Amino acid sequence: MSRREGSLEDPQADSSISPLPHLEAKIHQTHSLARLLTKYAEQLLQEYVQHQGDPFGLPGFSPPRLPVAGLSAPAPGHAGLPAAERLQLDAGALSLLPPLLDVVRRHQAELNPRALRLLRRLEDAARQARALGAAVEAVLAALGAETRGPRPEPAVAAAAAAATDAGVFPAKVLGLRVCGLYREWVSRTEGDLGQLVPGGPA
Amino acid sequence: MPAGRPGPAAQSARRPPPPLPLLLLCVLGAPRAGSGAHTAVISPQDPTLLIGSSLQATCSVHGDPPGTTAEGLYWTLNGRRLAPELSRVLNASTLALALANLNGSRQQSGDNLVCHARDGSILAGSCLYVGLPPEKPFNISCWSKNMKDLTCRWTPGAHGETFLHTNYSLKYKLRWYGQDNTCEEYHTVGPHSCHIPKDLALFTPYEIWVEATNRLGSARSDVLTLDILDVVTTDPPPDVHVSRVGGLEDQLSVRWVSPPALKDFLFQAKYQIRYRVEDSVDWKVVDDVSNQTSCRLAGLKPGTVYFVQVRCNPFGIYGSKKAGIWSEWSHPTAASTPRSERPGPGGGACEPRGGEPSSGPVRRELKQFLGWLKKHAYCSNLSFRLYDQWRAWMQKTHKTRNQDEGILPSGRRGTTRG
Repeated sequence: MSRREGSLEDPQADSSISPLPHLEAKIHQTHSLARLLTKYAEQLLQEYVQHQGDPFGLPGFSPPRLPVAGLSAPAPGHAGLPAAERLQLDAGALSLLPPLLDVVRRHQAELNPRALRLLRRLEDAARQARALGAAVEAVLAALGAETRGPRPEPAVAAAAAAATDAGVFPAKVLGLRVCGLYREWVSRTEGDLGQLVPGGPA
Repeated sequence: MPAGRPGPAAQSARRPPPPLPLLLLCVLGAPRAGSGAHTAVISPQDPTLLIGSSLQATCSVHGDPPGTTAEGLYWTLNGRRLAPELSRVLNASTLALALANLNGSRQQSGDNLVCHARDGSILAGSCLYVGLPPEKPFNISCWSKNMKDLTCRWTPGAHGETFLHTNYSLKYKLRWYGQDNTCEEYHTVGPHSCHIPKDLALFTPYEIWVEATNRLGSARSDVLTLDILDVVTTDPPPDVHVSRVGGLEDQLSVRWVSPPALKDFLFQAKYQIRYRVEDSVDWKVVDDVSNQTSCRLAGLKPGTVYFVQVRCNPFGIYGSKKAGIWSEWSHPTAASTPRSERPGPGGGACEPRGGEPSSGPVRRELKQFLGWLKKHAYCSNLSFRLYDQWRAWMQKTHKTRNQDEGILPSGRRGTTRG
């Protein structure tokens, strides 16, 4: 990561070195997008659990929260990392989510073919995750931080063509996990960008 | 071993869900060596069952350390804990479950049967599909809009409640040759409908039927045979205008245009008019408007707002003798009759079907008389139109006379003017 003075290195520092106006606008814009998508992600999760039936959606329901294809929830120490590193983790997670959301959508198309709004939300979520990930990478590039660069499709997308049948319940749990991860990472991205917005929380 | 009874078509009707690779084992916690994690397997996995049938299932625990006990395990179904007496420990690592007289599935994605560890954590799950095979769909009806397409709708058998996702497929083929085709645009005019947008032949019959399929079986409707030309409908007549007829308090004139899409079809159209008073829900219908594009409503109440609609039935398309299908009604058009102190007499070219009682017998007799006159008295020019003109002239004359003589309404003689 390129070393620069200012808020990139120290998340606690104030904005004594102001970003250029267009960069500021870009951060604002991406932050607004993340805020909007956080709301959509919450709606997606609610819609998803409705269609799977109880106990999905019940307050005490907690299947194992294990990594999915190498993607975990944001670590507890995430907030303490430097801004650039946080955004890199955000961008990385956002790039892993679209193929997972696609798998969930295809499965829900079999399980709940009449749940058109759910299917549409899953399709939109994949597209929105890509868009937000690209926007975060643009912010990173504008800040002079390293970006991930193009990555090959995760193993899950290629392996989805494999002839395995793990069962309907595990598929429902996978979908819940993916929708949950999507919400957590979009929300995390909103928080991380919020710290870069001038006047935002330190 | 589990003894759930899947339906006869369960295996073939049920398509496996899209493959979900190794990552699913990560989701449900594949045990790692020495990790102390437990998993389990429920059998049968995702069974399909008839309503009222029984299910025997097992939850077999694998874990580290080995020899994990089945004691303390319990079952939930759709989030509700099942009574302990429904379960029994088969052996050290297997808990069995017996359910009888199953109800239909609560959601189409399957009922969630879950095996829990003593601490409530989820060890494994299986989705139950409990329902009925589809019954024969029936009551297929189809119509073609301007001979360009075909839309069909049907009623699902048993009112559609199978508790399982049931797929309906509308099929069609030319009666004497050709292959089966499947309609692709569903739910166009309701949940059980399909639209065929193009490539339809005329002057030759089609066979149409509906196939219903779910995890427990399939059913096929009776075949409907039709020629597109016999089920044609069209758009409602555009440009409907309603206006007063001079000063006549009991009449309104209705004019419209023939639907433009039909001008190439060389047909005759029938029209129907309906009208109602503004604050009423009862429509009066005028039938037999024939091929005209105008009509005069008579016997109306003076000083009253009326809503009027017109619809069209194309018949005689390309020489067919059959009537088509009525179009939708046009958008309501409103107009008001002039105010008057006197109730308007009945009369007019278009008589309401449920018309004013006082005009009904009079007009019937008049019609009979005019018909007799035409036959026997060679009065070929006599018609209701002529009668209306006479009525209008009479009213005008009566008004003028009243004004000249200073006669007030309700027949009272008042002072003269001047």
